[in-house]
Amino acid sequence: MIDYAWLVPVIPFLSFFILILFRTKMQKTSGLVATIFSGLTLIYAIVIFGQLIKRQTYLAEWQWLTIGTVDISFGVLLNPLNGLMLLLVAFVSFLIHLYSIGYMDGDKRTSVFFAYLGLFTAAMLGLVMSPNLLQFYMFWELVGLGSFLLIGFYFYKNSAKKAAKKAFIMTRIGDMGLLIGLILLFWQTNSFRFADISEVILAGQMESGMITLIAILILIGAIGKSGQFPLHTWLPDAMEGPTPVSALIHAATMVAAGIYLIAVMYPLYMASNVALAIVASVGAFTALYAATIGLVQDDIKQVLAYSTISQLGYMLLAMGVLGYTAGIFHLFTHAFFKALLFLAAGAVIHAVHTQNIKQMGGLSKKMKVTSVTFLIGALAISGFPLLSGFFSKEEILAAVWANGQYGLFVIAILAAFLTSLYMFRLFFLVFEGESKKTIDKIQPTPITMKIPMIVLAFFAIFSGYLNTSWFETYLADWLASGATFLSTHHHETPLWLFFVTILLSVGGIVLAYFIYGKKRINQEDWKSSFPGVHTLLKNKYYIDEFYQLTFVKATNAIGTFFTYVEKYIIQLCMTFVKDVVQSLSKTGTKTQTGQTQTYGAVAFLGLVLIVAFYVLKGGY
Amino acid sequence: MGLLSLLVFSPIVGFIILFFIPKHDMKMLHKIALAASFIPFLFGLLVFILFKTDEIPADILKWIEFEAGEKSFVIHYELAVDGFSTILIFLTAIIMSIAILAGSFHVKKDIRMFYQLMFLLELGVLGVFASGNLFLFFIFFEITLIPMFLLLSKWGGTDREESAFHYLVYNGIGSLILLVAIAAIFVSAGSTNFDTVMQHFATNENSGLALGIAIALLLAFGIKLPIFPLHSWMVKVHVDAPIPVVIVHAGVLLKIGAYGLITFGIGFFPVAFEKLVLVLAILGLVNLLYGAYLALVQKELRAVLAYSSISHMGIILLGIAALNESGIQGAIFQAVSHGLIAALFFLLVGSLANRTNTTSLKKLSGLARLTPLLAGFLLVAALAGLGLPGMSGFVSEFMVFLGLFEQLPWIGVIGTLGLVLTVVYMLRVVMNMTFGTYRNMFGEIKDLNVYEVVPTLVLIICIIGIGVFPNIIASTIQLTIETLRLGIGG
Repeated sequence: MIDYAWLVPVIPFLSFFILILFRTKMQKTSGLVATIFSGLTLIYAIVIFGQLIKRQTYLAEWQWLTIGTVDISFGVLLNPLNGLMLLLVAFVSFLIHLYSIGYMDGDKRTSVFFAYLGLFTAAMLGLVMSPNLLQFYMFWELVGLGSFLLIGFYFYKNSAKKAAKKAFIMTRIGDMGLLIGLILLFWQTNSFRFADISEVILAGQMESGMITLIAILILIGAIGKSGQFPLHTWLPDAMEGPTPVSALIHAATMVAAGIYLIAVMYPLYMASNVALAIVASVGAFTALYAATIGLVQDDIKQVLAYSTISQLGYMLLAMGVLGYTAGIFHLFTHAFFKALLFLAAGAVIHAVHTQNIKQMGGLSKKMKVTSVTFLIGALAISGFPLLSGFFSKEEILAAVWANGQYGLFVIAILAAFLTSLYMFRLFFLVFEGESKKTIDKIQPTPITMKIPMIVLAFFAIFSGYLNTSWFETYLADWLASGATFLSTHHHETPLWLFFVTILLSVGGIVLAYFIYGKKRINQEDWKSSFPGVHTLLKNKYYIDEFYQLTFVKATNAIGTFFTYVEKYIIQLCMTFVKDVVQSLSKTGTKTQTGQTQTYGAVAFLGLVLIVAFYVLKGGY
Repeated sequence: MGLLSLLVFSPIVGFIILFFIPKHDMKMLHKIALAASFIPFLFGLLVFILFKTDEIPADILKWIEFEAGEKSFVIHYELAVDGFSTILIFLTAIIMSIAILAGSFHVKKDIRMFYQLMFLLELGVLGVFASGNLFLFFIFFEITLIPMFLLLSKWGGTDREESAFHYLVYNGIGSLILLVAIAAIFVSAGSTNFDTVMQHFATNENSGLALGIAIALLLAFGIKLPIFPLHSWMVKVHVDAPIPVVIVHAGVLLKIGAYGLITFGIGFFPVAFEKLVLVLAILGLVNLLYGAYLALVQKELRAVLAYSSISHMGIILLGIAALNESGIQGAIFQAVSHGLIAALFFLLVGSLANRTNTTSLKKLSGLARLTPLLAGFLLVAALAGLGLPGMSGFVSEFMVFLGLFEQLPWIGVIGTLGLVLTVVYMLRVVMNMTFGTYRNMFGEIKDLNVYEVVPTLVLIICIIGIGVFPNIIASTIQLTIETLRLGIGG
């Protein structure tokens, strides 16, 4: 079976192909068909993973393009890391497909929606199975395409159009870093293959300056894709897409691809302390930065989007402090609880038809399953004891501490505290308190939407036990078996760290309870005491406005300037040339004028010249 | 007559048959013209297959002989192809058929003469790519100018006479310079046969004459490509020519510039070109960025595409400037890829303009609502244009940049700015037309019909085919690249 592993991305691609071809006829059945295809993908991925456990790695390659003497291949690589990713992507994708049947019901373009979902899944699976950087880059762009199409799914909305365009452009900027990085790497190592690249690096055959440069360039690609500062602005806007898309692409899978990229290129980063320090700093800064914005947003999806940015920052931080397994572990648990949060939010939006949390409230009585699963997700992301997020977040903090990055440690702790604060602000405002009058009717949540939420809730609780120092570090051992370049310095987690984690998590929840649940603390208080801060956060630090005033303005100004160049200088030259030719032709044809004659004149002139040439050269 | 002669002169069949069809029987004219356009296509396919099976076709025949002084000059009538020209011939045949099909939607007056001129144009282009010596090349090159001029001046848009005139002036000057260059080559090498010329200059490579001729070729083909600041005629043609003619112009005719620069420029004067590398790289960069920035601020769809073509031609120049296998292979890929993508774009623009009677970007919005197919295909074209992996544009851009970074990394770094700008203007133009709210200005417009969908799909399949299986082209041009590389000195 594993020899046909390349079929894994082909199955969802077929789903895309069939649905786009018969999109009008399959309007009703598209959800079911796509879900079956995605179920098959999941089953196949599980089978392959089962075989992978015994053999650890699998590689197959085919020749793709020959440039001179260099052969560039296309292929399938399976190892512990991407086997895990394969499973994760196929699993979440299947649940999202199932959920979307209910969520998208009644839309006029469901078949197109499911087709795009299939295209994205295919690209994402192709990405995680890539054995070389070029193929990785190609699928990296294609997942971007899937994301773009789905953000702009409601094409008639101007906001969706802008958001889709922005997502494409912002990630493309990051991609240029990755592209330059991979080309430079090729000229250093003569190969795109991950295995060859790490071999060259581990053998110490590359200058350290070059390693740092390439590592930073590749990091720029990851920053773009994973919505890290300063290329993060597209991700909150991407919430314009249907909510299942936000869960799949902009929470669980694609945005995590940046972290995955750092992981597959890890030997490169391990070879440069400067690059690692930059990775960690970008991650830590983004984690805190996005968390502060998340505190004041009123759109349920916006809060979750900033939370995603913040959590991705956490993962990046982990990668930067040599916490390879901690980062992947958090990627893994985050995929479950964040997808869960989005799906629950989607159920809320589906029921009340608004995304503004100020208009919600008291929903826990009317939406039992949704409120309970949302609570589980919120607890998990806050790092509440014994839920998945607790273990992965604690491990990241331990890695930061063990690396001696005390400044970053403080930032990480602050971010963790803010995380539980804004998550429970959300929970209390949406599910507790008084019901609002603005919402009169609540649409029931169909069973196809409830099942994925329940399944994800289960994983949000228990997936952490795959990797705890209390029982067994299955996940870390599994990953380490595929990453031989990792030194096996397994640091014991200091006991006080557990208490710190618990304190942060519970502290944030309690504070949120008093402000938004019990309303003991007036939430308007701090707004009035720090008006500047509140406005700044509310406006997301004015980064969008800054870009608008600088880059966008400058680009347009250059364009306009060139229009003038075109209009006056080039046009002038053209007129001059034209006049010269015209006057020449007039002398040449004296009696006649007209355009065809000009042509004759030019040709004639040529003939004269060639004759003159012979004469001057003396016949040879 | 050899196979290549049959190929080159096969468009004559259509040209002649059309005389026997009554002028006003539009339907019949459309059908016959389309059918006749498949004849060159079949020959093109045959040549392609033969070339693939290593039976390289060539026709030779003594043609002109004259004496000057003590030396006698012989000019043969000789046709020959290499990998690059085989692909261009095939491309020409495909795009010509599509353009002729498009003619049935877009051309209303004097359709018979229109088709006949198109066939003449095809004859010229096929001859250009199949020529085995420079003399013949020049003759066919000139043959393309006349029908093109007439097509432009008679069937063009509002500014057609002005555009046709500009076209003529610029291309006239270009051929004049080319003629001088060819004459100089002839006098120096005693022959214009490609192989002889190549060998001749390989032994006299350092002469000032070689550098002079190389610069002349750069100018002559630079006008055709076009290179900044010689591009304004091409923008006018893009905006004013009838859709089928723009399809051929952007799809095939501009590629003569790339073909000439690579086959004659690098092929005959590798050493001279090595001296020009920096100039070429900077020209390429200017084309890439200047075109992209201007494409960004245009208010007219066809003007956007015109500047986009300029920008994409910059990539060809950058590939040539890299002067290594990867760069040159990328430039050749880009020539083919851009031909397909430009043809696809203008085919769709034609369908759009037929429905809305405007290509002004201000007036177009939300078209996906009524014409989802047209909108979807426009998006595919934009994605192809911005070099999405899985499509031909990515392969060519990637190879060019790969090659460029080996030789001139800083030029490459600045060049990536162009790749970002391409995304910006491509998405701007297509999304403004198809996304957003539909303003009911055009009434109940219908989506594409089957005659519009089929050629569109053919082009898309070619674009994706090259993107997914690039070795189809790479293996065909392998020998060409190898020869060029030997010239450069490896």
